[in-house]
Amino acid sequence: MNTEEAKPGAKEKLKIGMYWAASCGGCDISLLEIGPRLLELIEAADIVFWPCAADFKYRDVANYPDRYMDICFFNGGVRSSEQEEIARLIRLKSKTLVAYGACACDGGIPSLANTKTVEGIFNASYHDNPSLDNPDHVEPQQSTQCKFGELENPRLYPQVLRLADIVEVDYRIPGCPPVADRVWEAILALIGGGLPTRNNAVKVACTDKSVCDECSYEKRQVRIKAFKRPQEAIPEAGWCLLEQGFICMGPATRSGCGALCTKAHLPCRGCYGPCNGVEDQGAAMIGALGSILGADTEEQAREMIDRIVDPVGTFYRFTMASSDLKGRK
Amino acid sequence: MAEPHIAQEEASAPGESWEPRIIAFLCYWCSYTGADNAGTSRLKYPPNIDIIRVMCSGRIDPELVTTAFAQGADGVMVCGCHIGDCHYISGNHKTMARMPLLKRTLIEFGIEPERFVHEWVSAAEGEKFARLVREVTENVRRLGPLNWPQRMRERGVDHGMDLKPWGESV
Amino acid sequence: MTETPGTHTESGNEKGTIPRIGVFICHCGGNISDAVDVGRVAEETGTLPGVIFSTTHHFVCSDPGQSLIEQKIRKLGLDRVIVAACSPSLHQLTFRRTVARAGLNPYLFEHVNLREQVSWVSENNELSTQKAIRLVRAAVGRVRHLVPLDKRRIPIHPAALVIGGGVAGLVSARDFAQRGMRVTLVEKRPFLGGQAAQRHTLFPTGEDARGMMHTLIDEVVSHPLVTLLTNATILDSEGVVGNFHTRIRIEPRGTNEHLSNSNDAIAACPEQTANEFDYGLSQRKAIYMPYPGCYPPIPAIDWHLCTKCEKCVWAANGKGIDLNEEPREIDLHSGGIVLATGCDPYEPLYGEYGYGVSPGVIRLQQLIRLLDPEGPTGGELPGNGKIPLRIAFIHCVGARQIEGVNQRQPDGRVKDYCARTCCTATLHAAVEIKRRYPGAVIVDFYQDIRTYGRGHEAYYEQASEAGILFVRYDPYHPPGVVRNPAGDSPLLVKSRDMLTEGIEVEMPADMVVLATGMVPHDIAELVFMYRCAIGADGFLLEVHPKLRPVELAVAGMFLAGTCQGPMDITESCSAASAAASKAAALIAQGQVEMDPFIARVDETRCTGCRTCMTVCPYDAISRDETRGIAVVSEARCTGCGTCAAACPSNAIQQDGFNDAEVMAELKGLLEK
Repeated sequence: MNTEEAKPGAKEKLKIGMYWAASCGGCDISLLEIGPRLLELIEAADIVFWPCAADFKYRDVANYPDRYMDICFFNGGVRSSEQEEIARLIRLKSKTLVAYGACACDGGIPSLANTKTVEGIFNASYHDNPSLDNPDHVEPQQSTQCKFGELENPRLYPQVLRLADIVEVDYRIPGCPPVADRVWEAILALIGGGLPTRNNAVKVACTDKSVCDECSYEKRQVRIKAFKRPQEAIPEAGWCLLEQGFICMGPATRSGCGALCTKAHLPCRGCYGPCNGVEDQGAAMIGALGSILGADTEEQAREMIDRIVDPVGTFYRFTMASSDLKGRK
Repeated sequence: MAEPHIAQEEASAPGESWEPRIIAFLCYWCSYTGADNAGTSRLKYPPNIDIIRVMCSGRIDPELVTTAFAQGADGVMVCGCHIGDCHYISGNHKTMARMPLLKRTLIEFGIEPERFVHEWVSAAEGEKFARLVREVTENVRRLGPLNWPQRMRERGVDHGMDLKPWGESV
Repeated sequence: MTETPGTHTESGNEKGTIPRIGVFICHCGGNISDAVDVGRVAEETGTLPGVIFSTTHHFVCSDPGQSLIEQKIRKLGLDRVIVAACSPSLHQLTFRRTVARAGLNPYLFEHVNLREQVSWVSENNELSTQKAIRLVRAAVGRVRHLVPLDKRRIPIHPAALVIGGGVAGLVSARDFAQRGMRVTLVEKRPFLGGQAAQRHTLFPTGEDARGMMHTLIDEVVSHPLVTLLTNATILDSEGVVGNFHTRIRIEPRGTNEHLSNSNDAIAACPEQTANEFDYGLSQRKAIYMPYPGCYPPIPAIDWHLCTKCEKCVWAANGKGIDLNEEPREIDLHSGGIVLATGCDPYEPLYGEYGYGVSPGVIRLQQLIRLLDPEGPTGGELPGNGKIPLRIAFIHCVGARQIEGVNQRQPDGRVKDYCARTCCTATLHAAVEIKRRYPGAVIVDFYQDIRTYGRGHEAYYEQASEAGILFVRYDPYHPPGVVRNPAGDSPLLVKSRDMLTEGIEVEMPADMVVLATGMVPHDIAELVFMYRCAIGADGFLLEVHPKLRPVELAVAGMFLAGTCQGPMDITESCSAASAAASKAAALIAQGQVEMDPFIARVDETRCTGCRTCMTVCPYDAISRDETRGIAVVSEARCTGCGTCAAACPSNAIQQDGFNDAEVMAELKGLLEK
C-alpha cells in the first residue's frame, strides 16, 4: 500500500474489492452512498472485484497474485461452504481485509438463525409456511446431474459465522449498513496511508462511545415505568426514548452513526454492535435495562419483563455471532 | 440435503463420571455468609457447586452468567440479600430485575430454567442454602450436562469444517 | 478477539514481569485436611504457571504460619499470595496484614474458603478435594490480574451531630461533650425530653421521670462544648463519613429570655388545641410550655394555631415575644452523626378494642399521664369515688400481631414484633393504681408476661400479691371490648382464659387500658436522605446485632435508642452511650480508612449515558458536564459494584472485583 501520498490520485492506483457473503446487499449499496466521493475513490483506486456491481469471476480472483488487492471489503456473514472458500481466497489475495457491516463483524441479522437448526430453516422456507405453495415438497438438493455434469450447491452450515471466525481480519467497520460519512473517513485513512495494513481486527469508522453520545435527547435519570413498543405510543419529543419505556439499544451500542434512528424518533436497534470493550452486547443491555426498571417487587419486575416480546431478537438482533452463547443449543 | 454436523440434543451422553458443574455467585454480606453458616452448622451438600464471591449481588453482570454457561457450567446460581436487607441498600433491587430478564433470554437460547436459579439467602439461612444447593444439583443432574462448548463446536462455531482445498471447486 | 488492551488482558505485576505466586494451604488442624487432601491440592497447584511456591501448613493463621508467609515473600520475591483456609470473614484481614508486614501490598492477596464451604460441608472427600483444587486454581488465575490498591484515607471533622433531643440524644450529647468533643444536638420540637419526659415514675427505681431528665438536661446544656438547637429540622444532607454537611432550618420560637411572666402570656392566649404532651387528654394554648421545669424554660409558639392576635404580647408588657421572628437556616459540618429520633406509642386503629369509640378505652401512655400528679387530672383517675374502680389491661396492642387475626395497618402489614417494655410498664402502672386505690379491681389480659429486666419481675410479684388477676388470652382469639349491655359499667371485656383451658370470662370495666407497643417515629425523609437501612419492622437496621449493634451501614452514622427498636429508658441510655463511644472513637482517629473496592471510570469509554448515576444507591456518581462523563466520588462510593454491572459499555470497573479478575476466577473454575 502506498503510504507516501496523502491524497487520492497518486502515481500508482490502488486495487480494491468488495465481496458479499450471507448479506442482504445493503452494504454494497451503502458503499455507493458515499455519493460523488465515489469519483474520487475511482481516481485513486481500481475496483478489481465486486460481484454485486460488475461481472467478476472467482477464477479471476484465484488468478491474481497473492496480496494483489490492497484493500478488500467483505460484507455478510459466512454460513455456506462457498462463502468460506471465498473468504479464505480473499484473505490470500488481499493485503488488508476489512470486515464491512454488522454481518461480517458480528453476524448481523442473519446470525439470529443460529437459534434455529438447518432442518428448521428448510422446513420454514420450503414446507411449513402459510405463504408457500409447494405441494410436492420440493427443496434444494446438495447436488444434481445436468448436461454440464454434476452440479453442487454450496453446503449450508448450521451456524452463521463472522469473517474473523474464518480468517484473520485487519479492520472491521460496523453498522447495518455503515454510515457513508464514517465509511468515507475510513477509506481516506486506509488509502491515504497512516494506518497499518494489519491491525488485529480493530473497529474503525466508529467512535469509542455509545449512541447516547450522539443522541441529543434529555436524560432525566428516571427509572422505566413500563415498556412500550414503537407502534404503541408517540414518544415525547426531546426526552430519552429508553427512559420513556421504548427499548432503545443506544446505551449498549457503539456510536458513529450519528444517532440517525433516534433522531427520527425510533429507538436504536443496536446495529453498530457492542461498545468498545464489550463482547456480548445483549448481556450488556440486559444488565443496564434491568438496572433501571422502576420495579419495587419481583412481581412488578416480572410483569414489566413479560411485556418484552422477543428478548433474543431485541438484545441480540445484530450480534448473535459475537455473543457468549452464540446460538441455541 | 445431507448436513455435515447435526447438533444432537444429547450432545454428549452423560458418562458415569459426569458430575454437574454449578457456579454460584454469592454476595459477601448475606448469601456468602449464609453459605458459611451452612458450614459452621456442619450441614452437608453436594460438592458440585463452586462459589465466586462478590461484595453485592448488584455486581453480578448478566455477562458473568452467559460466560459461565458458555465456558461449560451446567448450572448457575445467583444469590443475594433479601429485598430490604441489602448491605448496600438497593443493590439487590437491580439483581431482582436483571435476573428474570436474563432468565427469559436464556430460555430462548435453549437453557432450561432449572439451570439458572436466583434466590435470596440471608446470613442466617445456612439450611436454606444447603437445601437450595441440593435441589439445584439434583435438577441439573436430571437434565444432564449442558456442555455448551461441545454443542457449539458441533454447530461449527469453533471452526474446522471439512473443505476441499482451495482451487478444486472452481 | 479483542481490539483494545482493555480489561480482559493480564495486568502483570508491580515489576512488569510474570507474577510470582505463593500458595499456602491450611490443614486447619484437621478441620480442612480431614476431608480435603491438602497435600494433593498443594501439589497440583504447584504445577500451575506462575506458582513458584505451594505448600501446606497446619495452622496458617498461627504465628509460625504467618512467619512462613512473610519469610517466603522476602526470600522468594513473591508478589502474589494465596491462602486457602477458613472463611475470609475470619482471617482475610489477618493475612492482609501479614502480607503488608512483608512489604507486599495487602490487596495482592487472595483468600480461598476451603473450610466452611468445602470440608465442613463435604459429602464426598474425593469430589471435595477436586473442588478444592479447582478453587485454588481459580484463585491463581485471579491473582494475576490484581493490582496494588490503597485504602482510602479521609480526614474527619472533629465534631458530632446528634439528631433527637429525647433521653437517648441527650445521653449521647453528654457523652460526646464529656469526651471533649464538640457536639450539636438538634431537636425538631421546641422542647427537649421526648417520651421520657411524659412519664411519671420510672421503673425499676421508682424515681421521678422529669427529675431525672432535668438532671440529664442540665449536664448537657451547661457544657460549653454542646450547641443546642430546638425547633430545628434537617433540610438536606451531603457528604460522607468524616465530613457530613447538613443544612438545618430553625423555626422561630417567637419568644426569648426577656419574657418574664410566661404564665400571664399563656393565660391570655385565646386559641386551644389538643395537648400532645398529655396524648390528647388535655388542651394547650398556641403559646405553651409542656410542663413546669421544661427546657428551654420559655414558652414556644405553635404557628399553626397562632392567629397573631397579640394578646400574649399585651399580657407580657411587650417584652420577650416577637410574633414576627423569622426562620433561619444554618450549615453544620460534622464528622459523625447519631440518630436518636425515638419512637411514638402505637395509635390503635379506630375501633381496635373499642379505641376511639368509647372514651373509657385509653392507651397505657395516657393512663400514665392520668396517674401523674402534674397531669391533666392531678393524678386522679376518672370515675374515682365509685367503689370499686374496675380496670382491664390488655397486653400486646399493636404488637405481636398475627396476619389474618389482627387488622392490617395502613401499610398493609401487621406489627408482629414484641414491643418489649409494655409488660413491665403495665404492671408498674397497675401496681401504682392498686397502691392508690386499694379497692380497685384490676384484671390483666395478657399473652405472656415479659418482665425481663433487672428488678422488673418484682412488679409481677407485687401485682400478684396485690390481688391483680391475670387472664391469659389466646392470641388467635384476642379479647373483645364491647359496651356493657347490663349497664352496670360502661364496658365489658370478654376473653378466653387459656390457663383454665379456654373458659370464657367476662369483665365489667370502667376503664380499659391498652398496653400499646411502640412504633418508630416517622423519619422517612431522613431515612431517604441518609440512605439508612430499615428492618421489616420499620425500625432502623444496625449493621450487625451483636458485633456492630449501634452502627448503621452508612459509614459514620450511629443509632441510639428506640429508633432502632423497642427498648426501655435503661437500654436507650446504654445504646446512646455506646453510639457516642463508637462515634467518638471514629472521630478521634482523625482520619477514616475505607476499603479500596471502589468504582473507577474509564474516561475514554464513558459516554455519560447516566445509567450508573441512576443505579448508585449512594448518589456517589455525578456528571462532569464539560467532558460529558461520569465521575465517581471516592469518598462516597461504598464498593457495591452495582454500577460496574449496569454499565452497558463496561466503562466502569470495580477495583478488586473488575471484569478481568472475576472472569479469570470463573474461567479458572471451568477449565478442563
